[in-house]
Amino acid sequence: MKTVRSSVLALLFLAFASASAFAQTRTVTGRVTVEGSSEPLVAASVNVVGTSMGTYTDDQGRFTVSVPAGPATLRVRRIGYVQKTVAVPSGDTQVDIGLARDVLQLETQVITGTATTVSSTNAANAVTVVTGEKLNRVPAQTIDYALQGKIPGAVVTQNSGAPGGGVQVQLRGISTINSSFLPLYVIDGVIVDNSQIANGLNAITEAAGGNFPSTQDQRVNRTADINPNDIESIQVLKGPSASSIYGSRGTNGVIVITTKQGLAGRNTLDLTQRFGTSRIANKIGMRCFGSGQEYADWTGDTSAVAIAADIALYNSATTKCHDYEQELYGEHPFNYQTIGSMRGQTPGGTNYFVSGLVQHDGGLQLNDNYNKQSLRVNLGQKIGGRLNLRANTEIIHSLTERGVSGNDNTGINPYTTFSQTPSFIDLRKQPDGTYPQGLAVVNFNNPFQNTELIKTPEDVFRLLGSGNATYNLIAQDRQTLDFSLSGGVDAYNDHAKIISPANAYIEQVNANPGTIVLGNGTIFNGTLGANFTHRLIRDAFTATTSAGLGQVRRNVDIIDNTGRGVFPGVTNVASATQIFTTESQDIVKSQSIFAQEEFLTLAERLLVTAGVNGERTSNNGDPKKYYAYPKFSASYRVPGFFKIDEAKLRLAYGRAGNQPTSGKFTFLTNIIDEGVTGYRSSTALGASGVKPETASELEGGLDLTLFGGRATFSATQFRKQIDNLLLTASLAPSTGFSTQTINGGQIVNHGTELELNMTPIQTDRFSWISGTTYASSKGKVTRLPVPGFIPVSGSFGSRFGNAFVAQGQLISVIQAVNGCTALNAAGTACPSANRVLTFVGNSLPDYTMGFTNELQAGPFRLASLVDWKKGGLGVNLTNDYFYGSGLAKDTALAARQLSNFAKGIDVWLENTGFVKLRELTLSYDLPAAFSRQIFHGRAQTARLELSGRNLATWTKYTGLDPEVSNFGNQSLGRFQDVTPYPPMKSFFFSVNATF
Amino acid sequence: MKRYKTLLLGAAALVVAGCKDNPVANPIDAPTVDALNGTLSPAALQLLATGVLGQDRNAANVFAYAIEAGIFARDVYRIDASEPRFVQETLGGNPDPGSFAGGGAWANYYTAFRAETNLLKALSNASNQFTPEEISATRGFIQTIKALDYWRVIEYRDTVGMAIQSDDPATVTDIKCKETILAYIAAVLDSANADLAAAGNSTVLPFTLPSGFTAFGRNYSVVSNIIKFNRGLKGKVDFYRGLDRKAYTASMFPTAIAELTQALGGAAPGAVPAADFQKGPYYVFVPGGSENTPNTISDSKIGLNPLVGDSVQAGDTRASKIVPRVTLSGFGLSTSITYSGAVASTANQARPLGILRDEELVLLRAQAYIEAGQLANALLDINSVRTNYGLAPLAPFVDKQSAINALLYEKRYSLLFEGPQRLDDLREYGRLNSTYLRKETSTDPYNAALPLPRAELNARGVTVNPACTP
Repeated sequence: MKTVRSSVLALLFLAFASASAFAQTRTVTGRVTVEGSSEPLVAASVNVVGTSMGTYTDDQGRFTVSVPAGPATLRVRRIGYVQKTVAVPSGDTQVDIGLARDVLQLETQVITGTATTVSSTNAANAVTVVTGEKLNRVPAQTIDYALQGKIPGAVVTQNSGAPGGGVQVQLRGISTINSSFLPLYVIDGVIVDNSQIANGLNAITEAAGGNFPSTQDQRVNRTADINPNDIESIQVLKGPSASSIYGSRGTNGVIVITTKQGLAGRNTLDLTQRFGTSRIANKIGMRCFGSGQEYADWTGDTSAVAIAADIALYNSATTKCHDYEQELYGEHPFNYQTIGSMRGQTPGGTNYFVSGLVQHDGGLQLNDNYNKQSLRVNLGQKIGGRLNLRANTEIIHSLTERGVSGNDNTGINPYTTFSQTPSFIDLRKQPDGTYPQGLAVVNFNNPFQNTELIKTPEDVFRLLGSGNATYNLIAQDRQTLDFSLSGGVDAYNDHAKIISPANAYIEQVNANPGTIVLGNGTIFNGTLGANFTHRLIRDAFTATTSAGLGQVRRNVDIIDNTGRGVFPGVTNVASATQIFTTESQDIVKSQSIFAQEEFLTLAERLLVTAGVNGERTSNNGDPKKYYAYPKFSASYRVPGFFKIDEAKLRLAYGRAGNQPTSGKFTFLTNIIDEGVTGYRSSTALGASGVKPETASELEGGLDLTLFGGRATFSATQFRKQIDNLLLTASLAPSTGFSTQTINGGQIVNHGTELELNMTPIQTDRFSWISGTTYASSKGKVTRLPVPGFIPVSGSFGSRFGNAFVAQGQLISVIQAVNGCTALNAAGTACPSANRVLTFVGNSLPDYTMGFTNELQAGPFRLASLVDWKKGGLGVNLTNDYFYGSGLAKDTALAARQLSNFAKGIDVWLENTGFVKLRELTLSYDLPAAFSRQIFHGRAQTARLELSGRNLATWTKYTGLDPEVSNFGNQSLGRFQDVTPYPPMKSFFFSVNATF
Repeated sequence: MKRYKTLLLGAAALVVAGCKDNPVANPIDAPTVDALNGTLSPAALQLLATGVLGQDRNAANVFAYAIEAGIFARDVYRIDASEPRFVQETLGGNPDPGSFAGGGAWANYYTAFRAETNLLKALSNASNQFTPEEISATRGFIQTIKALDYWRVIEYRDTVGMAIQSDDPATVTDIKCKETILAYIAAVLDSANADLAAAGNSTVLPFTLPSGFTAFGRNYSVVSNIIKFNRGLKGKVDFYRGLDRKAYTASMFPTAIAELTQALGGAAPGAVPAADFQKGPYYVFVPGGSENTPNTISDSKIGLNPLVGDSVQAGDTRASKIVPRVTLSGFGLSTSITYSGAVASTANQARPLGILRDEELVLLRAQAYIEAGQLANALLDINSVRTNYGLAPLAPFVDKQSAINALLYEKRYSLLFEGPQRLDDLREYGRLNSTYLRKETSTDPYNAALPLPRAELNARGVTVNPACTP
């Protein structure tokens, strides 16, 4: 701690000591345009190389800049265009520059610290930047859906097809067992909450039993709230080599989001209106009975009376084979999105970006929907030339109704009901408005009645706000020192109210019919930071030194009230016969201090970075101890040869951590006996020395720019080692304790990421841009100080397949009973003692590839994104429901599978590889004259677009969707498919106009 | 400009000052065990004692108490779509150590032992607000509960054995054989008895007991009644030590008879009044509210084995415990009767469960008399129970077997669905097999006990039950 502080001070002193100033200057003016045309480039930055002097072009593309006497060089840059350096000889005072479009995104600014960025041409890490435009090419309900297929090395899984979210991003494999497993999301410098709050669906599905919410509630990650249209760009820091600046939150990678800011120049108004629809993308099919006799055989009835009754029942049915999936999930909802934004600069110098969104997406079931409204105001103001203020605020409201899906133990899930109901039985609403009762075996459940009666709204109000003040303490030509103060808040309230009224058939089997679950979560995240950034520009090098402090605070309070025994029509939980309450609270405080040096030299070819971040947090066993997270990286740009314009070699090392979230204390758990409170020691033995997990990553790579900028290729190899894994060691229950948190164990992830982007055809009228990504990674448990164990994640037992952590095995391995040493005498079943428990395979894919293609012919543009996931195993438990009841579509297959299952073979494991056409867009830019006419001369540009998401899936998987997971919200074990909400494909028609 | 500069520097100072802020965030969800160090106050004793009794009650309110033992004893069925657990691993095959059916009656009780140890340790540092007699009484009572909990575990594990928990949470002790465990339980009960004697008959416990221990005919806050409970449990344990089918010890029976008689207030054979049969300690359940501990046997998926209804003797008023129900069938089993307390209803969710009623003590004494060869005395006790339920008294027994048969009938219907009592008897009398009981499914293995739970095996680094150490 002390050494860090003193070295920072030393650096600053050095920097100050070498200040100097220039005396003579001259003025240079000019104009920046798009290369090959006279279209002006607004807000392009014009810098004098070797100094800190620079300016921006105005709305005519003109600039005026002071340069030192003598020959000078100007560097002109603008996002979306390839930068250019232009020499300005001694006498010249006028220069015009044309910039070419940066179709392959050769240049972006890469974030390297809380206040520092570096050009991507020099960046020493594998950079993935997704621009706002690429993100929103096809409308998506939430950000995570929009990121699918766009980040090489990211596995994005969707928990169910229900509207409104429930998607997890996993970067570079599985990096933890018990700690946080999702990447950190940062918006405009504020750490944003990405929790999943359970809405209490468990109280009516009894997936985990009891009266309280569970991990099987089909939870939604709260990053779903963010409006994707506000995003300027997303930068993904894929591993600790880049994310060590985020300390003990950076192990799983960081997704850094920058929202749009105001621009100098003309004020623009952008309006988009989208209309669309969705439909079910896949069905598994029901068994059709050909005759009454076939049905009677299925029931197994033996008496003549019963058989006759069965045949009569069959004969009385009007439809002999209902397509239940189509009937229940056959909605074609009307979806719409209205997006408007205004951007520009007021005469007073305040630049602004204001945007609003109103979104409505229906689901496949009646009454399921996702609604979102958001309003964002981003303001920036420069005061007195030295002080730069920025304030970004977003207010979001979202209301989701996702219906009932996922695992259940009551019969309430539609697929559970369908798996037990012969398909000639009509469950739909009758002409008189009533619903037929379901079968006794599923507690009389009628899923059609549930869509009308059971309500599952989840209402979220959220405020995201950040502010930043940057003051230029020193603003000389060859030296700058900035001090910046930033702070932000992410606060939201998640209010869920599940109402399952007593007149629903499924409720009537309960001792107290009628259930209300009221959930209220209040979450607050606050970030505060202060830092100094010093830039020293010399002929031989540019040195950027930064140092600062930060604080993060997080408060969580989630209260759930479950009421059972409620009179039909009443929605007040206090009126229930039995009320159960639970609460969970948490406060986390962290402090950090960091210092970093970036040294750019050798004509900007070599960039060397070194930094350290020291952090302490209240979650650690010793909250006063600082843990160090260092980073070192270097990149060298080799000058071009043959067809290679430029090659960059890079190597980066960094360490990040993962905070312990519990485990320090042995708590006393309260237990109530006849209304009197008592305490007894909890079954989790405390560990006072618990510390964060540490993840160290070494990443090396090569980036090539080829054929005159027409192609780029990048290859990255990484090795990520996670030590001090937080493990829940199982203790012998005979000690009175069942678990204790320990640090120990090691996972090593290594992988490869390749990316090839090219423009095979590029003419005035036609262009084709193509991108291909490849990523593969494998993680192994290289050290485990405890015996192998099944992680505290969900599964249905080893006869189906569960996650398992064992030394020498992949961290994503699946363990299952899949073999028999000796069958029983009849050869039909495997006695439990003879079952062979083995490691059957990997739940993560062998590799993933993404293919993006964009064809442009004049005003038409066609873009597509295809995702290929090769390999990976999953457990299809939905099949178990249908095969077991004999109502699967393919009865012969079902019988074979069941017989094999009895013999000890795990028939539920399936390959979950797939090829998906994720996005397809066709857009047409209306001719300028036409658009001006339509919009009464106001519109600058107008565009029509037809787009589709999730249009086609090719897979061998026999379930609804190879990507779903009943236990999606957990680190391990995300491969269980249990009666999910079916996947949907969506189509949109959009009209966009800018004024 | 200067204004902004000062503002910024001021704000920066705030941030730096924030760094001095103590990063410790105290756990705010629950107290920790550190709260137990220090002098034990009456309020803390109440909390800890309620914790022990609540844990003990909740551990008996699960599948692996009355229900699973009832299934093993062939009196109870539970039929539900969530198989394998209720039929295939009880009446159709062996319970798997890692499954719902095989892992019960273990962890909950060991948590109870830890709670009891913590309380007894804290008692040695009790404040001077307690009298020495009160401390002895508390010690005696808690040790009796501890012995009861050990009995519960060994009752379900039988010859597999169990571990005696160490005071140190980090130590894993050997699995001891049943005889050693029963001897240990006997020692704990005697040590408790000594403490209770030192406390004096009229001493009252310095904390409030739940109503199950006070409202059912006998107030166990008073030491004289705790002694009765203690002696009753000791008598039961000694009886089964004697009856142990692997190590039959005839000398235990007279001891058991003496202890059971003391527990019954010194009553002569057949002289226990019928009004006393329902007296004893009970568990009281509270459905709903934040406590939410409904009696788990109130369950629409539970029924009684049809043989229970078929075997009732005409005129037996205990037949009122057997009520008709909607036919429950599946997995090869079918029944149309259930236990009156198992019908799913709010009333049954609050139905209390007897721990060791006087009726059970009377029948245990009868069993001890039979084994000790005192068939006439056994007949007196058995008839005192029979006649209370509308049945004619039996004629003197011709031999031990017919006495046992008669006894087993009474015990079955007097204690129907009240716990593992019948399982204990069928097992120790060697009747848990196809000679005495029909096969319920084609693969019926006549399960007599549960294996060690998978978590215990994993922690010991083994995959099958280790041999117990004597």
